[in-house]
Amino acid sequence: MRFQDAAPDARAVVYAGIQSDPLVARAAELLVDATFEQRLLARAVMNGESTDPETWQAIFPTLFGTAESSARPDGDRSTRILDVSLAVAERGEQARSQFRGAIVESLTELLVRRRHGHADGPTVRRERRVLFDGVRSEIHPYDVTVEIPGAAAAVDCKWGARGISADVLHQLEDARAHAADEDEQLSVVLVVFDAARSCAVRLDRTTAPHEHTRLVTLDSLDDLAATS
Amino acid sequence: MEPDGAPDDSPGTVSAAIELALDALDALATLGEEVEDEWQYVQDLTAAWRDRLATVEAARGGEAIDPAIAAAVVALAGEAARIRDPHRAIDWLSTLPQVALVALGERP
Repeated sequence: MRFQDAAPDARAVVYAGIQSDPLVARAAELLVDATFEQRLLARAVMNGESTDPETWQAIFPTLFGTAESSARPDGDRSTRILDVSLAVAERGEQARSQFRGAIVESLTELLVRRRHGHADGPTVRRERRVLFDGVRSEIHPYDVTVEIPGAAAAVDCKWGARGISADVLHQLEDARAHAADEDEQLSVVLVVFDAARSCAVRLDRTTAPHEHTRLVTLDSLDDLAATS
Repeated sequence: MEPDGAPDDSPGTVSAAIELALDALDALATLGEEVEDEWQYVQDLTAAWRDRLATVEAARGGEAIDPAIAAAVVALAGEAARIRDPHRAIDWLSTLPQVALVALGERP
């Protein structure tokens, strides 16, 4: 088993421009230390219709101090997450979809780096393929890979539960199985910026194998950074 | 123009807030059904979140809610009503109940 940079096609080149946009990094850096509720705010705003902050402040009173129960533990972060999410929402429909995906990937990378204690180390990478002897290379690279012998992982990221497809599940399971054939361990992880309940609904109807795929959802994102 | 003393239509209880959220959920489902390939997913998703909201209503339905929480649920339903794209409606079938539950102090 070995990892390799993906040869960029035209779509990847365009998407790389989105991934390197400062807005993506700003959003991911704010979300990495965010609470569940703040991450839910980002999800709602980035796919909402309203682009005025007052509407969202009203919808999330416990974050913006308008409810009796509000503790506003991190109100400034909430405001900055709202600002960056509105900046995404104000892009065109196609662009906002690409930005959302890139943000989930970048956030995942930051959380995974925390787990492995490397700020800039080569062990956590983006857009990489996993190659196996005698096996045809997969079409799509993985969004994030952990390239540590004995603790390798291939991670795919999705904005919503609807993004969970048979193709995605098969690719992850195939990689895990091929690694096992080579007596290598490869964890396969699907990160979905959506509720576990919605993901469960999606998975209930699929016949694609996913028993060995670890699912990380909006309410369990911090598990990516946990060391045990 | 509303007459003086007209009743406020904001929900005053958990039950009323959930009813508002369920109406919004149903409207999103109707829109989302336009995506034929996802018809079953729309049905399943709507049912799953209906069940979750119903569980909260059964446990806390009569509980009074803070006016800011009531306003939040009204604003949330209003935001959902602005959605015209069926694909976005499907995404909001998951988003709306999560936001409503969090406003009511529940984990999704």
